[in-house]
Amino acid sequence: MNGGLTKHLNIIDYTLSSLWRRRARNASVLIVFAGVIFLVASFQFVTEALTETALDSLRTAPEITIQRLSAGRQTEVPLDYGEQVASIHGVREVVPRIWGYYFDEVTGANLTVIGVDLERMPLGEKLNLTLAEGEVPEPGASGWVLVGRSIKRIVESKGTAYLSLFRPDLSQASYAITGVFDAVTDVLTNDLIVMDIGDARDLFHISPAAATDLCVYVANLEEVPNIARKIAAALPDARVLTRSQISQTYQVVFGWRSGFASVCLLTALAAFVIFAWDKASGLSPEERREITILKILGWETSDILAVRFWEGALVAGGAFIAGCTGAYIHVAYFDASLFRSVMVGWSVIHPSLRLVPSLQVSTLLLIFCFTVLPYMAATVIPAWRSAIVPTDSALSGM
Amino acid sequence: MFLNSWSIALLICGVLVLFLLGLAARSAVRVLLFWDPDSDSNRQIRLENEIWLTSTLVECGLGVQIVSLVVFVLAADYFSQSIVGAMCATGSLLANDFGIPALIVKIGGVFFYGFWIVLHQLDIRSPKYPLVRLKYVYLLLLMPLVVLDLALEIVYIAGLTPEIITSCCAVVFGDAVGGGTNLLSGLTHGMSLLLFYGSALLLLAVGVVLLKTPRPWLSLVFGCLWLGFFILALMTVTTVFSSYIYAMPYHKCPFCLLKPEYQYIGFAIYAALFGGTFMGTSVVVAEPLRSMEGMGDVVSGYRKKAVGVALLFLILFSVLSSYHYVRYLIVGGEG
Amino acid sequence: MLIELEGVTKIYNQGQINEVVALRDIDLRIKEHTLNCLRGASGCGKSTLLSIIGCVIQPTSGRTAIAGLQPARMPDRFLTVHRRRCIGFIFQNYNILPALTVRENITLPLVPLGLSRRAMAERVERLLQQFSIGHRGNFPAGRISGGELQRVAIARALVNDPPPSSWQTNPRPISTAV
Repeated sequence: MNGGLTKHLNIIDYTLSSLWRRRARNASVLIVFAGVIFLVASFQFVTEALTETALDSLRTAPEITIQRLSAGRQTEVPLDYGEQVASIHGVREVVPRIWGYYFDEVTGANLTVIGVDLERMPLGEKLNLTLAEGEVPEPGASGWVLVGRSIKRIVESKGTAYLSLFRPDLSQASYAITGVFDAVTDVLTNDLIVMDIGDARDLFHISPAAATDLCVYVANLEEVPNIARKIAAALPDARVLTRSQISQTYQVVFGWRSGFASVCLLTALAAFVIFAWDKASGLSPEERREITILKILGWETSDILAVRFWEGALVAGGAFIAGCTGAYIHVAYFDASLFRSVMVGWSVIHPSLRLVPSLQVSTLLLIFCFTVLPYMAATVIPAWRSAIVPTDSALSGM
Repeated sequence: MFLNSWSIALLICGVLVLFLLGLAARSAVRVLLFWDPDSDSNRQIRLENEIWLTSTLVECGLGVQIVSLVVFVLAADYFSQSIVGAMCATGSLLANDFGIPALIVKIGGVFFYGFWIVLHQLDIRSPKYPLVRLKYVYLLLLMPLVVLDLALEIVYIAGLTPEIITSCCAVVFGDAVGGGTNLLSGLTHGMSLLLFYGSALLLLAVGVVLLKTPRPWLSLVFGCLWLGFFILALMTVTTVFSSYIYAMPYHKCPFCLLKPEYQYIGFAIYAALFGGTFMGTSVVVAEPLRSMEGMGDVVSGYRKKAVGVALLFLILFSVLSSYHYVRYLIVGGEG
Repeated sequence: MLIELEGVTKIYNQGQINEVVALRDIDLRIKEHTLNCLRGASGCGKSTLLSIIGCVIQPTSGRTAIAGLQPARMPDRFLTVHRRRCIGFIFQNYNILPALTVRENITLPLVPLGLSRRAMAERVERLLQQFSIGHRGNFPAGRISGGELQRVAIARALVNDPPPSSWQTNPRPISTAV
C-alpha cells in the first residue's frame, strides 16, 4: 500500500469532517462564491450561445455579398453589375436581394425586410427548414411574407392574418403571412420579414433594374478570397463582403461584449477574493488550538497545508459545480433573464431567444480561470499563516 | 484584442503567477540574507516556516502556469476565428512575432518551476536542508522568466488585430507545395517515423540500463536524450501522426488535437509527453546534487522513481500518439 | 538508554531584552521500561525540559539523544516525524478536541502515518476496549466525564505504538505527561 496516497486519503477524510463541523462558515463562503461563479458562467454561456446561433444562421448565407457605395454610404446596386460578376470564372450564381429596414411607428421597432428571388436563390428550398409553421410559397408568387415570431405576435394581436406596411408615399401594402420562423434562429429572424423581391421593390420604391445588394454564390469555397478580389477590382465602387468576414465581425462584437462584461464582473470577483482572504485569515482561538494539538500529535506543517488545500479545493469545487449548474439552468431554461437586455439588444423588440449553451471544456476552463484560480491564490497566505502556529503554545498555554 | 474573455483569462493567469512567485521571491531574499541553520533564534524558526510558504506558493504558481499554458493554446484557437486567414491556433500564433516565443517561454516556465519543486522535495528529505541556498538563488533567477512570460503575452495580445492576414497550419506544416514555408521540411514520412520509434526504443533501453546500473554520466545521457526526444516527438506528432488523427492528409497541426472533435486526445498525448520529458530531464537536475552531504541516498531514490515514471510516460505517449496511425495501417482509411 | 541529555541549555529570545534562561546545563539519562517523575516549582523549566524530550522544541545548546535520534539542530519537519513515531503526550488539561468524537480524537495521531483506514480502526478499537471506553466511541469528546476524558487522553498517547512486529527496529514509544 502506498503510504503517501493513503495519508492523503486520511487527510481528506479529516478535512471533510472538519468542513462539516464548521459548516455554517464554510457554507457562507460557498454560497457567495457560487453566486460569483454563477454570474461569470451565465455571461459566458450567453455569449457562447448567441455567437453560435448567429454563426449557425450564417451557414446558409451567400459566400460573397456585393453592395455599392456612393459618397461613402450604401446605395442601390444596378443589376448590370450582376452580369459582370457572373462572367468571372468560378462564380456559380449571382442573385439580387433587397435588404432594408422598416421603421414601424406603432411599436417603435425597426424591422428588417429582406426581398428574395426564390427562383434564383440556390438554397431557396432550404428556407422551409427554418420555418416553424407554414411554408415558403412557389417561386413566382407574390403578396406573401415570412415573419419572425415577434412580428407574428403583433399581427395576431391586431386580430388579422395580414401584415400591413406603408410605402414611402404612405399608401398601404398588405401581405399574407405564409410562414413563421423557428425560435432557434430568433437571434437573426425575430424582427425579420422575408418577401418576394418584386414586392420589396414596390414597398421601398426601388427601380426594377436595381437591388440593395447582390449575393454571389461560389462553386469552390477555396476560391472565395480570389473571386472577392477580382470582383473588387472589376467594380471599384462596390463593397465586397465575404461570409468569413461577417462571421469574424460577429465574433469580435460578441467577444468584445463578453469581455467588457467580464471586466465588470471582475469587480464582483475582487470583492469576493477580499472576502475569502478575510474568512481564511480570521483564525478563531479554537482553530488555533486545534492546529497546535494536531502538530504536537505529529502533523507536519505540510499536512496542515494539505488540509487547507483540500478545504479550499472542496469549497471551490462545490461552488464551481453549483455556480455552473445554476448558470446553465438560468441560461437554458430561464433564457438568461437577468441580463438579456445587455447581451441581445439589437432592436426594440427583444428576441425571446431560446438559448442553448453547448457545454464545452474550454468554456468551463475560462470560468475556472476567472473564479477558482484567484480564490486559490488568495487563500495561500492565510492557509500558511494558520499552518505555522507554533507547537509549544499547547504546552506553555496551560 | 484585450477585451475578450480569453485575453482577460490569460492576463489573470499571468498576473497570478507573478503575484505568487513574487511573494516567494520576497521570502527568498530573506532566507538568503538571514539563513543560519545553527541558530534556534526566533528569526531562524520564522525562516524555517517560510520554506513552507515558498514551496506552497511555487506549487500554486506551477499549477496556474500549467492552466495558463492550456488557456494560451485554446485562446490562440479562439483568436483564429476573428483573424483573417488564420484557421486554427497555428495561424493566430504566427499572426505576429511574439506568439511562438510566448508559447515557448510558457512551456519553459512549466519545466523550470517544476524543477524548483524537485529541488525542494530533495532538500526537505535531508535533515540538514543542504539545498536551501541553491534553491532560493534558483528561485530568484526564475523571476525574469515570470516577467518575460507576462510581457510576451501582453505584447502578443496587443499585436493581434483582426485584420491581419496570416498563414495557417496547412501552409506552415504542410508539404512544401506552392512556395509555402515549411518549418519541418527535409524529412520524409518514413524517415521521421524511423527516427521517432528508434529514439523511443533507445530511450527505453537507456532508461532500463539506468535503473539496473546507475551511473552519473548515464543520467546525463538519459536527460539529454529526453530533451531531444521531446522536440522530435513534437515534430513527429505534428507532421505525421496528427493527420492520421484528423483523418485528413493535408491537415497537419499540433494544436487542433486539443479540440473536442478529436475527443481531446491531444491533452492526453501532450500530458504524457510533458510528464515524461519533465521527469526525464529532472534526473539531470538532481544528479549533480549527489555529491552534497547527506544527499546521496535521497538523489538515488529520486532518480529511481523519476526514471521509472518517465519510462511509463514514454510508453503511454508512444501508444497514445501512434494509436490512430496503427489503426489506419490495420483497418485502413474509413474504419 | 532511552533518553540522554547532556549540557542542555534553553534560552528564549536570546540577545533580546526579554531574554529568559529556562534551562541551564541539564544532564539527564532515562532508561527504558522505567516510570519517571519530574518535580519542581512553577516556572522552573519543567515544561521546557519535557518539550525538549518530546521533540517539540530544540535546545539552544547541548546534546540530546531521544529514542535513537539526535534531534539537536534538525528542522522542525524531522522532529515532527520522530515525534509521531515514538512519542505520546498526555497533557494536564488533556488537550482533547471537544467537537470531535472520542474515536476521532484517538485516531488523530495516526492520520499522518499513512496507515490504511482498517489498520487505524483496528488500533483505535483495541485501545477503546483496553480502556473500557468502547461504549463512548461515537460520543463527542466534549460530552464525556472527566475520568473518561483522562482515559481518552492516555489512549491517544499510546495509539502510535508501533505494532509488535516492528519493535525490533523501532524503539518503544515514550509517553510524556505534561
